[in-house]
Amino acid sequence: MAGAKKASAALSPAVRTLAALPILIVVATKREDGSVQLNPVWFLLEDGFVWLNSNTSRTWPKNLQRDREVTMLLVDPKTPDRYAQIRGRLVSLIPDPKHEFIDRLSMRYTGKEFRELNPGEHRVTLKIQPVSVTGDMI
Amino acid sequence: MAVELSPKMQAFTQEVFPAIIGTSRKDGSVENVPVWFEYKDGSFWINGGTNRGWFKHLQRDPRITLLLIDPKEMFRWAQVQGRMVNWAEDPGGEHINELSHRYLKKDYQGPRTGRIKIQIEPLRVTGAIDGWR
Repeated sequence: MAGAKKASAALSPAVRTLAALPILIVVATKREDGSVQLNPVWFLLEDGFVWLNSNTSRTWPKNLQRDREVTMLLVDPKTPDRYAQIRGRLVSLIPDPKHEFIDRLSMRYTGKEFRELNPGEHRVTLKIQPVSVTGDMI
Repeated sequence: MAVELSPKMQAFTQEVFPAIIGTSRKDGSVENVPVWFEYKDGSFWINGGTNRGWFKHLQRDPRITLLLIDPKEMFRWAQVQGRMVNWAEDPGGEHINELSHRYLKKDYQGPRTGRIKIQIEPLRVTGAIDGWR
């Protein structure tokens, strides 16, 4: 139905187990020319949302602000043919001026706080609502 | 114009993990799935059935992005922007069988009929393998 709001998708236990590992999620966005950009990035699955963080000067968060549809892929590191493709939508963009969220992500992946920010570097948190999940880990 | 991969990238393509491909659906969203691939004679080659979503997408828009990423050390990755330049039937499933030997070291167990092989020309490489660009 036109204009209908897509429901959010509940993620299965198999997907949630995979998402708990400190693996990267592959984020697919559309460049301005319509081509596909793929970036492996840190993420956190919490409260039913996928949370990402980036430097505001990077291309993929800019792509995502122009076109809020995003596709994300989780691959099982032990069996790379097992995957979950998560389609989602950017629901909010949250400035992270005290780099609290990137520090949390950094703890998850490296056990340490994030590095010192570069001069002029601004961090932003991206909150993504999963809309549908496909793949052999549904 | 197709680009030639650096020696480091060529070595990376010989490692055995699936490529993650991104293609554009009709509605503009991206399909993002892992597929078997090989890099040979300057092109990337993937294999599928003609009913695969990504193949339909490529017939409409031949642009394809491949992410090569080591699933065990995910900071080792490269993004290849490419274009489908050709596709052909895979009679008898010869190509899928070659891929099966690359990935599983045994004959392909699935159906050998109705398969196609797709040739992808690399146009631009970015990411951590060649250093940031």
